[in-house]
Amino acid sequence: MEAPHPTVLVVDDAKSLREFVRRNLDVRGYRVVTAVNGADALEKFQAHKIDLVILDLIMPQMDGLEVIQRLRLHSNVPIIVLSALGEENTKIQALNRGADDYLTKPFGVGELLARVQAVLRRARHTPSTQESPVLVRGPVVLDRERHEVTIEGRPVNLTPTEFSLLEYLMQNTGKVLPHRAILQNVWGPEYGQEAEYLRVYIGRLRQKIEPDPNNPRYLRTERGVGYSFNA
Amino acid sequence: MAPSPSCTRPLRRRRFNPQRDLGIRLLAIYALFVLPLVGMTLYFDRLATERLHADVENANLALAKAIAEETNLSLGSFLGAARRLGAEPAVLQASVPAMQPLFEALAKSRPEVNLVYRLNAKGIMLYHYPQGSDVAWSTIGLDFSFRPYFQKARTTHLPFFSQGRISPTTNQPVVTAVMPLWVNGEFRGLLGINISLNALSLALQQIAAAHTSAENFTVFIVDSGGNIVASSLPGPSGKGESLLGNITTLAPALGGLPGSDRTEALLLPVKGQDTLYAYTPIPAVKWGVLVGRSAEAAFNTVSAFRRATHLALALVIVAGLLFWLALSRQVLGPLEDLAAYSRHIGREGPHGADERATLETLAERPDQVGHLARTLRRMETDITARMQELHTLLETSAAVASTLDSRTVLARILAQVERLLGVQKCAIIAWDEQRQAFVAQASRGLSPRYAERLVIGRDEFNSLTLRALQANRPLQISDTETDPTATAIRPRARAEGYRSVLAVPLPTQHTPPAALVVYYPEPHTFTPQEIDLLTSFANHAAMAIENAALFARSDERLQEQTRRLEALVQSMGDALLLEDHKGQVLYANRRMAALADLSAEDLSGAETERIVQRILNHAPNAAAARAALAHAAEEGTAEVDLRLHGRLTTWQVQIFAVTDSRGVAIGHGQIWQDITANREIDRMKASLISTVSHELRTPLAAIKGYVSTLLADDVTWEPEAQREFLLTISEETDRLSDLVSDLLDLSRIEGGSLKVQPEPLDLETLIARAARNAHPAPGNRLEVHLPADLPPVFADPRHIEVVLRNLIENAVKYGGETSPVRVSATQENTYLVVRVEDEGPGIPPEHVPHVFESFYRVESGLTRQASGAGLGLAICRGFVKAHGGKIWVEPRARGTCIAFSLPLTPPNDSDTSPL
Repeated sequence: MEAPHPTVLVVDDAKSLREFVRRNLDVRGYRVVTAVNGADALEKFQAHKIDLVILDLIMPQMDGLEVIQRLRLHSNVPIIVLSALGEENTKIQALNRGADDYLTKPFGVGELLARVQAVLRRARHTPSTQESPVLVRGPVVLDRERHEVTIEGRPVNLTPTEFSLLEYLMQNTGKVLPHRAILQNVWGPEYGQEAEYLRVYIGRLRQKIEPDPNNPRYLRTERGVGYSFNA
Repeated sequence: MAPSPSCTRPLRRRRFNPQRDLGIRLLAIYALFVLPLVGMTLYFDRLATERLHADVENANLALAKAIAEETNLSLGSFLGAARRLGAEPAVLQASVPAMQPLFEALAKSRPEVNLVYRLNAKGIMLYHYPQGSDVAWSTIGLDFSFRPYFQKARTTHLPFFSQGRISPTTNQPVVTAVMPLWVNGEFRGLLGINISLNALSLALQQIAAAHTSAENFTVFIVDSGGNIVASSLPGPSGKGESLLGNITTLAPALGGLPGSDRTEALLLPVKGQDTLYAYTPIPAVKWGVLVGRSAEAAFNTVSAFRRATHLALALVIVAGLLFWLALSRQVLGPLEDLAAYSRHIGREGPHGADERATLETLAERPDQVGHLARTLRRMETDITARMQELHTLLETSAAVASTLDSRTVLARILAQVERLLGVQKCAIIAWDEQRQAFVAQASRGLSPRYAERLVIGRDEFNSLTLRALQANRPLQISDTETDPTATAIRPRARAEGYRSVLAVPLPTQHTPPAALVVYYPEPHTFTPQEIDLLTSFANHAAMAIENAALFARSDERLQEQTRRLEALVQSMGDALLLEDHKGQVLYANRRMAALADLSAEDLSGAETERIVQRILNHAPNAAAARAALAHAAEEGTAEVDLRLHGRLTTWQVQIFAVTDSRGVAIGHGQIWQDITANREIDRMKASLISTVSHELRTPLAAIKGYVSTLLADDVTWEPEAQREFLLTISEETDRLSDLVSDLLDLSRIEGGSLKVQPEPLDLETLIARAARNAHPAPGNRLEVHLPADLPPVFADPRHIEVVLRNLIENAVKYGGETSPVRVSATQENTYLVVRVEDEGPGIPPEHVPHVFESFYRVESGLTRQASGAGLGLAICRGFVKAHGGKIWVEPRARGTCIAFSLPLTPPNDSDTSPL
C-alpha cells in the first residue's frame, strides 16, 4: 500500500523531538528532511520534493500557523501538526489554516506512524476500478482520476483530505452521514471522535464550493447527527 | 348663561313603564276590588232572577192548579149529576113528561148547564130542556148518532165528557157530560148535559180581571185535542169567540201540552212578546189549564231589580274611573311632572320657562303636591347654590394645580372666596420666618396700608387669627363692637370698616402655620355652611402653599442630584454619549470629548457621526473599526482598536437604546470602554497556559517519544542508538524536574511558605557551580569580576545558586551567541550587589516593569526566541526578597543588566519572609 520512500519534512525547534521523529521515520523507510524553524522549513520545502510535512506549532521566528498558511498558498501537501497546546481552539485554528491532522504532545511512536500513514493514504487516494471515475451531482463534478472538482465548470482547488471528504459525501448524496462514519471513512479507521476536524473541513469545503457559505446549499448540517450532501 | 337648547324642551316625563306607573297600579288595585264585586253582583243578580222566575212560574202553576182543581171538581160534579140523572127510571124509559121536571131542576140548580137532553139508542133526540124560546133551535127528532160522543157512549157504561163544540140547539159553545144508558146490557141511548163553555169562561174572566191588562193575563182550559174549552179572553160579544179554537193558533209549541198529565212551565213568544205559560192537567176530563201571562209584566220586578243592580254597578265603576282619572290628573300627573323636574335638577343647565311655569303652578296648590313642589323648588335653589360652590371649589382646585407660584394661587383663591361668599375683604395670613411674625401673604379688598400693617406677633394672643390657629378650628367675631374679645382690634376694624371677622386655620403640615381670614362690613354670624365652604378654601390654599414649598425643595434636591450625577458621569473612565433619534448629541462626557479631540462645548449638539469619525481617525484599520461599529449597532457590543498617543488600545463599544422611565425611546447611548488592560490580562492568561503546556509537554513528548521508540517491536535499535535515546530521556527528565522545582519554588514564594536557611557562602564557588549547571551553559563566554575584599555573605546557597543560574541562563539565551556573560559583585553600603550582564539586544523598555512577573515573557504567541516558562526572574525576585534584598533591571546602552542585592548582615527574621 505504501509508495516507496515518501519524503517527510519534520519541523521542530526542539532537537530531542525532531530527532525522535526523524529517527523513527528514517528507520521505517521514509526519507526525512528536518528543519529547526519556520523559515528553514519553507526553504527545505522548496528544495525537496516533500510528500508530508510534520510541523510543530510553537517555534521561534515564525510560528507553525504561519508556516501552514504559506505552504497552503502553493501546495496541497498533507500537513500533520504537533503541538503542546491541546486546546480545541488551537486545533481548529491549525485545521482552518489547512493542516490535515493534529497530534497533541506527548504521543507515542505508534500514534505518529498511524497518522502519517493515514494522511499519506488520503493524499495518494486511488479510486477503485469498479467505481465511475467521475461523480456528477448537479453542478458539482468530481473527477477521481484527475483529482479535480469543478462547480458549474469552474475548477475548485481542494486539499487531499477535502477531496476525500467531498468524494465520500457525494458518493452518499442525500444520506445523512454520522460524524463517526465520515471520520472513519475519510480519515481512517483509527479516527472517530475528532468532530472538530469535520467542523473545520466542512467549513473549508463550504468556503470553496458553496455560493453562499453561510446558507449552504450542498453541504447541510444535520444538527447533532452529522452532515449530508444534497445537489 | 345662555339657555341650552334642551331647556326649551317641554318636561320630559319618564318613559312609561306599566309596572312602575302608580296610576296603573292604583287602577289595578281598584280593579282587584271592583271585579269580584261585579262578579258577585252578577252572580246574585242571576240567582235572584232565577228565583224570581221560579216564583212567577210557581205562582202561574199554582193558579193553574187551583183552576184545574176547581174545574175538575165542577166537571166531576157534572159527571155525577149525569150518572144520577141517567139512573132515573124516567130517563131510562125516555118518558118525556117525567124527564122534564128532572131536567128543569138540574138546569135551574146549575146555571152553567146550557141544555139537558136524551138521545135514544139510535141517536135521535128525544127530548131536551129547555125548549121553546129558550133555545135557538129545537133539535128534537134530529139524528145525532154521527156525534163522536154517541159512538163512544155505545162502548162504555161510565159517564164522560165530549169534545167541545157549538151546540146546534143553543148555538153556544158547549161541552157535554154524557151518561150512556144501558138497561140489562142493552144500549138505550144516552143522557147529555151540555155545559156552557161561556159560563166556564166567565169564571176565568173573573180571575183574569184581578190582573192588570199590562200583565196580559190569560187562562185557557183546553181539552185533550187542544181545543180551547174556556178562555179568560172576552170576545166582542162577551161570549168568548176564541172558544173551540185550537191553542196551536196561539203558539205552535203549545200543541204538545194537551193530553199531558204533567205540569209544565214554558216561556214562549206569542204575538211578538214573550209569554210565560203554566200548564196543569185536569185529571177528571183529561183537559188542562193553561195560564199565560206576559213575561215582561211577570218579570217586571226581576227586571227592575236587575236594572237597579246594573245601575249600581255601573255607578261604582264609573265613580271609580272618575276617581282614578281625578287622581291621575290631580296627583299622579303633577307627581310625574315633579319627578321629571327633579331629575333635571343639577343637570344640563337651568330649567326652561315651561318647566318652571309648571312648577310654579304646582307650588301654588295648597295641598301636599303644592308642598312637594315648594320643597322641590327650595331644594333646587339649594342644589344650584351647592353646585355653584362645588364649581368654584373645582376652579380653585384647577387654579391650585395650574401653577406652582403660591402667590398666584392664593390670589385666585381669594378671588373665588369673594365671588362665592360675596365678601369684600379677605386675606391669607401666614407665619413669616424672616419677620418672625404672622403677615398677610395675600389679601383682597383690604387697603394696602392695612394689609401692610397686618403683622401679628407670636405672643399676641388676643388676635383672632392666632387664637384660631391655636385652637385649630375656625373662630369668628360676629360684631367687633359688642364682642368682648375684640376690644384690641376694634380701632383697626373701625378704621378698615369691618364689623365681623372669621379666621379659618389652614391645615399645613410641611409649611409654617397660616389662616384664611374673611371680613364683613356688617355684623354677621357665619353659618356652618359658610364656615364649611371657607374651610374647603382653606384646604386648597394649604395645598397650594405646600405644593409650592415642596416643589421648591424638590427642585433644589433635583438640581443637587443632577450636579452629582453630572460629576459622576463626567469623571467616568468610560466615554459616554447620548444621541437623539436624529443623531444629534444630547450629552457626552469629558472622556468622550477627549477621545474625539473636541472641547465639551463642541460636543453638545454635534452630529454623532462626526464625533465617531473623529474617533475612528485613530483607528489603524478604519474600515474594520467602522464594520465593528455597525455590528455594535445591531448586536449591542463590538471591539475597536485605536492607536492613541502611539499606543495601541482596544475599546469595547456598547450601543444601546435609551428609554425614559415610561419606556419611551429617547435615542441611543454609546459607551466606549478602554479594555486594553483586560485584553492584556486575557493575553497573559492564554500565554501562561500556553507556556506551561509547552514547557511541560515538550520534555514529556521527548520522553514518551523515545520510550515508545524503544518499546516499538517492529524496529531493533543499535545499542548505541538505545543509549542515545536513554540519555535524551534522562536529560528531558531533568529538564522536567527543574521546571517542576521552579513551579514549586514559585508556589512557595507566592504562598509565603519559602524557608530560607542562611549560611556564610563563597560567591565565587557559587557562581562557578551555577554556570556549570546552567542550560544552556555560558562556557567560555562567562566573565566573573569579584573584588578581593568582598565581605562574606550570609544566604541560603541553594536559593542564591538558582538566582545566579537563572540570570546566567537568560544572559546566554537572550544575549546572542557571541555576547559575553559578565558576572560582577560590589559592596554598596550594607549590601552586596551582584550584576549579570550581556551585550545582547536588551529588554524593550515597555517590558522592563513586568519582567519580574511570573510567566511574563517578552515574546508572545507561538513565536519563541528561546524556551523557558517565564518563571526564572519571578523566582529570582522571590528568593532575593526572601533574603531581604532587591532585584532590578539596570539601564544599559547596549545589552541587559540584571542586578540584585543581599544584606551583608542577615535579617533577624530572615527565616520566613513573605514576598
